[in-house]
Amino acid sequence: MNIPFVDLRAQHLALKSEIDEAIARVIENSSFILGREVERFEREFAAYIGARFCVGVSSGTAALQLALIALGIGPGDEVIVPANTFFATAEAVSNVGARPVFVDADPAAYTIDVGKIEAAINARTRAIIPVHLYGQPADLDPILELGKRYGLLVIEDAAQAHGARYRGKKVGSFGVVSCFSFYPGKNLGAFGEGGAVLTDDAEIARRVAMLRDHGSERKYHHELIGYNLRMEGIQGAVLSVKLRYLDQWNELRRAHAALYGELLQGTPLILPKEMPYAYHVYHLYVVQSEARDALRAALTEAGVQTGIHYPVPIHLQPAYRSLGHRRGDFPEAERQAERVLSLPIYPELTAEQIARVAEVCREFFAMTERHRLSSACGANADGRRRP
Amino acid sequence: MAKIGRKVAVPLLDLAAQHEPLREELLVAIERVISSQRFILGPEVSALEGEIAQRLGVAHAIGCASGSDALLLALMALEIGPGDEVITTPYTFFATASAIVRLGARPVFVDIDPLTYNIDPGAIEAAITKRTRAIIPVHLFGQCAEMEPILKICARYGLHVIEDAAQAIGAEDRGRRAGAIGSIGCFSFYPTKNLGGMGDGGMVVTDDEALARRLRMLRAHGAEDKYRHKYVGINSRLDELQAAILRVKLKHLDEWTAKRRRNAERYRELFSEAELLDRIGLPYVREGAYHVFNQYVIRVPGGRDAVVAALRNHDVGVEIYYPVPLHLQECFGALRYHEGAFPEAEKAARETLALPIYAELTAEQQAYVVQQIRAALADD
Repeated sequence: MNIPFVDLRAQHLALKSEIDEAIARVIENSSFILGREVERFEREFAAYIGARFCVGVSSGTAALQLALIALGIGPGDEVIVPANTFFATAEAVSNVGARPVFVDADPAAYTIDVGKIEAAINARTRAIIPVHLYGQPADLDPILELGKRYGLLVIEDAAQAHGARYRGKKVGSFGVVSCFSFYPGKNLGAFGEGGAVLTDDAEIARRVAMLRDHGSERKYHHELIGYNLRMEGIQGAVLSVKLRYLDQWNELRRAHAALYGELLQGTPLILPKEMPYAYHVYHLYVVQSEARDALRAALTEAGVQTGIHYPVPIHLQPAYRSLGHRRGDFPEAERQAERVLSLPIYPELTAEQIARVAEVCREFFAMTERHRLSSACGANADGRRRP
Repeated sequence: MAKIGRKVAVPLLDLAAQHEPLREELLVAIERVISSQRFILGPEVSALEGEIAQRLGVAHAIGCASGSDALLLALMALEIGPGDEVITTPYTFFATASAIVRLGARPVFVDIDPLTYNIDPGAIEAAITKRTRAIIPVHLFGQCAEMEPILKICARYGLHVIEDAAQAIGAEDRGRRAGAIGSIGCFSFYPTKNLGGMGDGGMVVTDDEALARRLRMLRAHGAEDKYRHKYVGINSRLDELQAAILRVKLKHLDEWTAKRRRNAERYRELFSEAELLDRIGLPYVREGAYHVFNQYVIRVPGGRDAVVAALRNHDVGVEIYYPVPLHLQECFGALRYHEGAFPEAEKAARETLALPIYAELTAEQQAYVVQQIRAALADD
C-alpha cells in the first residue's frame, strides 16, 4: 500500500463542482487580482478567526514581510523568532532589513520555549514572532505578557495553524497582527500561493493593503514604497469554498492523530503532545526518534512517504552564517532537527492507512530490538547511532 | 466612419473578448493542473520556461510571481545592494524603481527621449558615477529602448544591463529580441500584458548559467535543496495554474501582436483622415524597432485632460501612463529630486494618454474613439 505524504486529490474530488463554479465566476468577471472574490474571502476569514480585518496577500512569507513593514520594523531592529521553524519566518525579518534573533524550541511542544525569550530581549528588540508550529499554538499568554512588559509587538505566525485554538480562542486573534499561509497542502490551502494578514487595527490593515499593491491607494500615486504581493482572484474564490470545510477537516486530522497515538503507544517514538492550553490542528504529525533516518528509510521502503520539518535549524542555515551562530547555541532545536519525522496526515487519510504506517513503525522497532539483543553479547553494547 | 451620435462602448482592455474564443482550451488547461493538484513549480512552469527561452533564444528562463519580482530577483542575483546606484528612467511603472530601493540601492534617473518615451541614451553617461552598477532600460509601451548605445556604455563602464521588458514580449531592436539583449531580461504576465495570465506572474531570462542557478534559488527562499537555504531569498514562484494558462495564450501571441500592430496602423489612418495629425502626437516607431503596442500612447499638448474627460464621458476607456513621474512620487522624496529635473518625463506625464489597442478591438470602435477625440478638440 502506497501512502503519500499529502494527497490533495481526494479532497478536491469532493469539492470539484463547487470549485469549478467558483473559478468560472472569476474568469467570467476577469477579476484576476484582488477583486470581489478576494474581498469576500477576506471578510469570511476575518470572521472565522475573529479579527476585524483580513488582507489577502500572495503568500505566507509575504504576509510576514508586509506585517513587519506595516509595523515600521526595519534596519537596526531585532525580532525574536524560534530557531525551529520554516525558513521564511526569519527570512521575512531579514528582508525588511531587521535582524532575526533566535530562541530555542520547547522540548515538549516544539514551539518557541517561552522560558528563554526574556534573555534574548535587548534595547533593539521590537517584536516577537511566535510560530504555531505543526498546528499547535505557541504558549501565547507568557509571550503576550513579555510583549506588554517590554513594549514589544507580538506577530503571530499562524501559517500552519488555521483553526487552532489557544485556551479556547482561535490563533490569529491574539497578536497585534497575525500571518497565515494558504500554500497548497496547508489545512486551508489554495490552488497556488496565497497568504493573509489579520489585525484588529484599521491603520495597520490600511497600510498592509497599500503595501501589497505597490504602496498606492490611488493608482499610479505611490505614497509608500510598496510591493507586488497581491492575492489572486482564483485563490480567493477557491479558499472561500474550502473555508466552509476547514473545521470538519481539522476534526478529521485530530481523529487521525488520536489513532496514531493509540497505535504507536509503547514504541520508542516520542509522539506529539497536545499541550493543555492547545487545540492542535495537526498540520503535521511529527514524531521523534533516535533512529530517525533508518526509520524513514524503512517507511519509504514500505511505500510510506514522510517528511522532515525541518532538517536544519534556522541558525545553522548557510544563509545565516553571517550571524555567527554555531552548533550548540540552540541544543533543543538542533536535537529536534536530527530526530523529527513527519508522518502522513491529511483529512482523507484512512484508518487502514494509519494502521499500516503504525505497523511499519512497529516492525522497524521490533527488528532493531532483535538486532540489538543479538549483538548485545559483543563488546560494543552501546547501540546508539548518533556520533 | 461611424455615424455621429451613435454610442459604441470601447473599454481600455477587454479580457473577456480575448478569453471567449479560448474558453474551452483554457478550462482544459486549468482542469489539467487542478486534477494533478500540483500547484507550485511543476511541469507547467518548466514547460513554459522552456517555451519562452526557445522563443527568445536564451539559455535560461525562470518563472516567478510577478514582473516586479522579476526585477527584484535580477538585482538580487547581481548582488546589487546598499551603496550601489542603478540608472533607469523616471517615466515607467513604479516597480522598476521600487525594486532598486527595496534592496537598499539608489535609483538614478535619466530623462527620456520625447519621441519614444524611452530612456535617452545620450543622457546616460552623465549619470554614471563610481557607484553605478547597472542600467535598467525599460522597453516602454512595447517598444525597445535604443539598446545599441546603452550596450556600448555598459561595456565601457562595466555595468550590467537589466532589461525591463514587462511591456515588450515579442518586441525587437534591430532583430534582437527584447529581454534577450542585456545580461538579464525581466517579463511580466500581468493580465493586461500582451501575454497575460489570470493573475500575477513574471519571468527572468538570461544566458548566464551561474545567474540562472542563483535566480532559481532566490525565488524559492534561497534554498539549494528543500529546507537548506544558501541565501536569504524571497518567495516568488510562478503558479502552475498561471503557467498552464500562459501556455495556451502563448500560442496566440504572434497573432495578437499582429492585430495590435494593425490597430496602431488603423489609428494612424483614422487620425490622418480626421486631420488631427497636427494636434496629436502619435506613437513614434524608431527605425529598427519592432513595436508590439502593449499600449498605444498619444500626446495631446495642452488638451490631454479635456480629451480624457470627453472620452470617459463617451464610454471610451482611457488611462494615463503615467500621471506622476517616479522622481516626483511621494514615496521617493528621500531621493531629493525636484520638479524640473527631468523636463521631458514631466511633460509626457502632462500630455499623454493611452487609447484602447487590444487585439479584439474593431475598426468601428477605433473610428468611434477618433471621432470622439476630434469632437473634444473641436470644442476646445
